Amino acid sequence: MVLVLALGDLHIPHRASDLPPKFKSMLVPGKIQHIVCTGNLCIKEVHDYLKTVCPDLHIARGEYDEETRYPETKTLTIGQFKLGVCHGHQVIPWGDLDSLAMLQRQLDVDILVTGHTHQFTAYKHEAGVVINPGSATGSYSSITYDVNPSFVLMDIDGLRVVVYVYELIDGEVKVDKIDFKKTTTSNA
Amino acid sequence: MDNPLSQNPDSMWGRFFKNAELERMLDQDLTRLYPEPGSYFQKPGCQGILRRVLLLWCLRHPEYGYRQGMHELLAPLLYVLHVDVERLSEVRKLYEDHFIDEFDSFSFHENDSTYKFDFKKFSDSAKDGNGLGKGSVKFSSLGELDPRIQTVVLLSDAYGAEGELGIVISKKFMEHDAYSMFDALMSGAGGAIAMAEFFSPSPFGNSHFGFPPVIEASAALYHLLSIVDSSLHGHLAELGVEPQYFALRWLRVLFGREFSLDDLLIIWDKIFSYDNTKVNKPADNVSNSTFAALSSHRGAFISAFAVSIILHLRSQVLATENATACLQRLLNFPDDIDLVKLLVKAKSLQALAIDANNSTSPMIYPGFYYRSKSVSTRGHSLSLDLTSPRTPPNVVPDSYWEEKWRDLHKEEEHEEGVIGKLHKSRKGWSERVRLRLSRTESDQSSSKVGKIQKDQKSPVRKTLLKDLASQLRSDEDTEKTVYDGDIGHQDPVEVNGQEITDKNFGSMSEPRYLSGNAESEENSSNFSDSPSPISGSNGRQNDSGKSSIASNLSINENDPGPCGTTPECSTLPISDSPDELSLKCAQNDNSLGKSTMGMKERKFLSGKFQWLWKFGRNASEGTSEKIGACEDAKACIGGSVQNIVVGSLTADGCDSSSRISEETVEQNLMGSFRNLGQSMLQNIQVIEAVFQLDRGHTGPLENSSKNGFVGQGQFTALAALEELRKISNLLSEM
Repeated sequence: MVLVLALGDLHIPHRASDLPPKFKSMLVPGKIQHIVCTGNLCIKEVHDYLKTVCPDLHIARGEYDEETRYPETKTLTIGQFKLGVCHGHQVIPWGDLDSLAMLQRQLDVDILVTGHTHQFTAYKHEAGVVINPGSATGSYSSITYDVNPSFVLMDIDGLRVVVYVYELIDGEVKVDKIDFKKTTTSNA
Repeated sequence: MDNPLSQNPDSMWGRFFKNAELERMLDQDLTRLYPEPGSYFQKPGCQGILRRVLLLWCLRHPEYGYRQGMHELLAPLLYVLHVDVERLSEVRKLYEDHFIDEFDSFSFHENDSTYKFDFKKFSDSAKDGNGLGKGSVKFSSLGELDPRIQTVVLLSDAYGAEGELGIVISKKFMEHDAYSMFDALMSGAGGAIAMAEFFSPSPFGNSHFGFPPVIEASAALYHLLSIVDSSLHGHLAELGVEPQYFALRWLRVLFGREFSLDDLLIIWDKIFSYDNTKVNKPADNVSNSTFAALSSHRGAFISAFAVSIILHLRSQVLATENATACLQRLLNFPDDIDLVKLLVKAKSLQALAIDANNSTSPMIYPGFYYRSKSVSTRGHSLSLDLTSPRTPPNVVPDSYWEEKWRDLHKEEEHEEGVIGKLHKSRKGWSERVRLRLSRTESDQSSSKVGKIQKDQKSPVRKTLLKDLASQLRSDEDTEKTVYDGDIGHQDPVEVNGQEITDKNFGSMSEPRYLSGNAESEENSSNFSDSPSPISGSNGRQNDSGKSSIASNLSINENDPGPCGTTPECSTLPISDSPDELSLKCAQNDNSLGKSTMGMKERKFLSGKFQWLWKFGRNASEGTSEKIGACEDAKACIGGSVQNIVVGSLTADGCDSSSRISEETVEQNLMGSFRNLGQSMLQNIQVIEAVFQLDRGHTGPLENSSKNGFVGQGQFTALAALEELRKISNLLSEM
């Protein structure tokens, strides 16, 4: 029952001022054990806010981040799963599944979390899962202006991960759920 | 859709997080339970059992949740079970043979034919101590065992000779037993005291008062304390120490935090030996006066035990001057508490508690604790002796204000010549104050001055009389008529009498008391002066002024008992009876007497002289030789009294304005009054012997009004003597 929050591309303060209030009310401290962030926060205040939600925070550097010392990619192990984080502007073409799969194999992770496209996607292929949490603030991207605020919450339980997607559509929070099961245990 | 971040508390995830929170709190508490290294409770096995039992109970009773303290209720239960199981296994090891289960073929002694008969015969013969000749070498009959071991064996014997006793202790079922015991304790097993209620913040269903049960139970405790020792109760109330500050901790863990584990087990044995069923009289079910906490024997014992703890710390608590220090004393027990004494005392108080609960008490109404505080301060003056806690409520004397009120009304009647309406019902405190306020100013100040004086020493009353104190100060220098000061007020003589023995007693009240009695003696002598009321007035007029306070105090003191024949009044101690009698006989003279007394009194000292002189005069009008003796005796007394009183009065005079009294003077006064009391007693004995001779000649003196001057004089002299005797008793007691 490990809860991992995946979000990114907030672009605060350049493109958006803050998270939507409904999202903020849901993100109360104490429930979530880890946060993986794809990047483009962009300022330190956002980093601090995320720290209050959960102290275990993993960030990959986006191109607009003002903190230069975030890594390009990051990997961590939670339970039986290996997670990888990358912003995604490095992977060309942006958002292409095969390229992302290549990155996943490079990082040797079961779950890859990337952003940059500001669109939620969740792909499954035999090697694992590729998740794009979208933009938590709904800020515009280089590709499109029409962006719904969204983020992802993963519930890692043994060999099973349940992915909850929270999207703010027309002022209402809509939740969707996707189940993934891992077939083999990871090596120590 | 049910998601982890859903705000819905009933969702699966919501409940998950709630339970996670519960578990976290529970774990936190368990790690702190008896944390000494090597403690039984910190072993992982025990912690696991505790955790599971508590979690399960809390999940089954979500309305209570987990509160800190529940683990401390469960822990001793588990400890007891564990110890018993261990003992059982020890005994098993030592006395294996007796635990042989005859129906288990593997444990038969195959080579012994005597074992092959039915079990009953075997156990009988074993009990008889006959042993089996061919039995195993180690066999010892059941009867030869230590009786305790015997009990152990029989208890665990599934097919015991007593019948289907079943297995009472078993290691396998320790956790189950712990859960059942804990559940029974928490839910009260249908009785009055359900521990779980103490943890709930909301008023319980059948609470009469709408307070959370633990608040109510704490108030029950204070109620019991006020009955048993109202001075201590008043002190605590005056400091603002609400009972739940310390009682919460005591009640929620049944004194688990105050005593070591071994002591606690003894206490719990006593508590649980009492039945928990409600002891409500059927008619009382609708009354609003019963405390749920006291309505079972067990509940009454718990409250009684708490009160006995408070009483044990009585001296320390009374010595504290602010609430913080007081709570410190109450919450940190000395280690050398004599448990047996406490338990015995608690047992004695328990019966009182049940009684107090069952009788309807007028003190209970919503907001009761705060309001009952004022009641208790009224009752403060009538602190009951600790050794006699069982006082039937209908004999509780009127409180100070009620008596005053009654007296004021009696004066009114005397004025108007209406004698009928002597009996007044008890009025509320505010009404009484209003009534008093409607009287003349001087009355107020006179009646309240005594209080104010006491306030200097006993801060219990200061809140009652602050405004009146200022009024008094303003009145101090003005001449006022105190028209019924002497007659009317019922005393605080008995109040003072009690106060003398009270811990808060300051020597300021001594001169008051003495002067008061002198005044009352003066009164009686004035009454007896029916043919010569003028002399009485002369006596008064001759009073020169020293401290108005002292004189006002004397006025205060002079409260003869009510002329009415209420049985309550008859229980009022000390000088009331002689005053009563004197009042009765002089009833017709009251108007006269009042007019004389309607003057301002500033001094009682010279008044004392006057009294002595008058009495001497009266005496001379009677038989000379007897009265001569009396006179001499009285003169001696008067002289000694006068000397001391002068000293005290000067002290009072100096200090009255500043309202400080000098400690040294008071201490001297204390000793001197003691001596005085003894000398008075001796003199009284002399005089009484004299009067005994006279009594034979005259008829009954009581209620005789104007039987002739001699008889009257003797009568009043006797009355005065009785009064003196009582004073001297009190003085010598100091």
